[in-house]
Amino acid sequence: MQSTSDYNRKRFRMGIWFITPALLILLTVLAYPIIASFVLSFQRIRFAGNGLSHQFIGLNNYAELISNQLFRESLFRSVYFTVMEVIAVSVLALLVALMLNTPLGRHAFFRVVLLVPWALAPVANAVLWKWIFNTNYGVLNAILIGLNIIDKPIVWLGSPWLALNMILIADVWKAIPFIALLLLAGLQSIPPHLYKAARLDGANTWQQFVHVTLPGLKTTIVISIVLQSIWALKVFDLIYVLTHGSPADSTVLLNYLSWRETFSNLDIGYGAAIANVLFVIMFILALLYIRALRPRQVKEKRSGTK
Amino acid sequence: MNQKTVNISRRNFLKLAGMSAAGLTMGNFLASCTPKETGPVTLNVLVPAAPDPAPPGVAKFSEEAFAKWQTDHNATVVYEAPPWPQLHDKMAANFASGQYVHDVMYNCGWVPEFASYLVDFVDKLPADLIADLPKSSFSTVTWDGKRLGVVFTLSLLTLFYNTELLQKAGITAPPKNWDELKNMAKELTGGGQYGWVLNYGAPEGIGGVASYWMTFLQQAGGKVYNDQGEPAFNNDRGVSALQTMVDLMPYTDPGSISYVGINDATNVFTAGNAAMMMNWPFMLKPASDPASSKVVGKIGTAILPSGPVTSASIDGTDAYTIAKNSPNPDLARQLIEFYLDKEVQKRQVLDTGWLPIRLSVLNDPEVQAAAPNAAVILEQANYPYDSFVTPDYNEVTTTIGVEIQKALAGSQSAAEAIQSASDQVTEIVKKRQ
Repeated sequence: MQSTSDYNRKRFRMGIWFITPALLILLTVLAYPIIASFVLSFQRIRFAGNGLSHQFIGLNNYAELISNQLFRESLFRSVYFTVMEVIAVSVLALLVALMLNTPLGRHAFFRVVLLVPWALAPVANAVLWKWIFNTNYGVLNAILIGLNIIDKPIVWLGSPWLALNMILIADVWKAIPFIALLLLAGLQSIPPHLYKAARLDGANTWQQFVHVTLPGLKTTIVISIVLQSIWALKVFDLIYVLTHGSPADSTVLLNYLSWRETFSNLDIGYGAAIANVLFVIMFILALLYIRALRPRQVKEKRSGTK
Repeated sequence: MNQKTVNISRRNFLKLAGMSAAGLTMGNFLASCTPKETGPVTLNVLVPAAPDPAPPGVAKFSEEAFAKWQTDHNATVVYEAPPWPQLHDKMAANFASGQYVHDVMYNCGWVPEFASYLVDFVDKLPADLIADLPKSSFSTVTWDGKRLGVVFTLSLLTLFYNTELLQKAGITAPPKNWDELKNMAKELTGGGQYGWVLNYGAPEGIGGVASYWMTFLQQAGGKVYNDQGEPAFNNDRGVSALQTMVDLMPYTDPGSISYVGINDATNVFTAGNAAMMMNWPFMLKPASDPASSKVVGKIGTAILPSGPVTSASIDGTDAYTIAKNSPNPDLARQLIEFYLDKEVQKRQVLDTGWLPIRLSVLNDPEVQAAAPNAAVILEQANYPYDSFVTPDYNEVTTTIGVEIQKALAGSQSAAEAIQSASDQVTEIVKKRQ
């Protein structure tokens, strides 16, 4: 008769065989491009004849990154964009989740409406906002002029910081639904008896929110912050459709810069180096995400008696 | 209780999976060993989607002739027609892969960039066809002495103006020089309407803000490069060209700085909200469509105003090229000959608005009647229209365009912008060498 350890070893080996096809696909689709990108970033690549010519140049692409003003400015803008988006989405999504967690908010209609921005394809979303922000025909200017808030149209995408923040608004709008649903799930997992107990102890609505809701949502909030950071760093479609990096490169963020260097300027090695910087930042965030997902160990407080 | 159960052991499951995989592999192998029937030859063609210049089969013209051509040549033409902004990236990715993807490709200012992947086929075109093409049309598709493409539409920027708005302001003729342009733009601005509109939102490429500045630069008698290929625009010609654009800004539709595509600016003109703009010849067709234009019958065209030296323009450089790794280069060349056929070229202008490149067709009375701007384009072609294309055209125009945008926004002077652009382009040129 087989021992338990023999059986477990056999089971483990069989498991490896079963996950091998999926692993191979993951290695091909994920690992190969990532490794190839790192290899490319150490090369100067030129279009020549049938294919590409490769010249190993060590860390020159990374040295050029560090000394390049546009890269530094894009990095700064990407950090700004990410921080502002995370704050805006977290606050607004939490408000939406709190509203949805009320008796009226639980109606399916509101959840369906909430999903509309999230369901829009990214490019469709960008085209929609391009028309909303249009100087002459956009609905935003039309509403503000109609309400006498402004007396002439504003060129929303015409000045550097304004254009960047309008792109931010468009991305926040699209991001809120998913995070709101994530937070709603978190809210619904908070035991109701905690709120009862708090009310019995005389806590008002704000105190219940601070001392029951927020602690109960802590893990979900951390997860949504990390996820949102990763998504904000990746923004591309809005920039491509709305501004093409203009005006004067003021809306060029890291992902867009990587694309431009690679496909527009055909400096593939340099573009790969930018992409790898972005990859490292997102990898660190992904590690934080995985850490946040780990089950919490409940620490039992000694009450003085065993 | 009677229960029907199916027991699949791990061993049986793995046997079944292995047999299925072997069966599939064998099937594919046998299929590849089967001799292929001789059928139509497939030509894969990459072109932009309409309304950008597209051939029969993508744009709606000469459909019967196109079907007949395919039948007569035992060929099937398969188009890939993405939106224009995606073309460069697609070609870059295709060429980088080293794989055959397309036989014929549309090119727009990228011929020097992709020169090593293209066939110099022009010398094999019929002599009467070559003689019927403007000699200058080959300047943007020639690199290292090889003619690697053929331009198929005479597409130069010219001036479009709203005749009604000019008439209301008491202006009897379009501007002939920079001073008149600025004065008229000023006169025509007011009451929510502007004298000038253009798309300054995208810095790069043909039709980006850098290329518009190149128009003014040539009007000032300037050039982007000297004979050694070094930047040669950091001088009073380069600065005055940009200064003219800056001087026009108070009379330019404010949204211009944010319009990425020419269509954004065209919409303002065809809505009657701007009096003048530079545009490509095709614009006349949509602007004359009552369904989308409020200025039908009120559009005038003229050559671009002269700077201190001359009138000048830039070439849209819309060309067809053949890939070096095409398995059917002769058939691909014959397809391009079809696109340049006189009757096809005539239908191109009559049905789509894109002017022909063949001089005999441009001078056809029917074409001149249907495309009143044809005569203006022919006249514009008498003046310089260099697009200064180089292998790093995108990088150069992005660099220059960004500095121009800063000057147009008022964050630096024209002189500072030109100096900064020149310094950066010098570095780019060093990399090129």
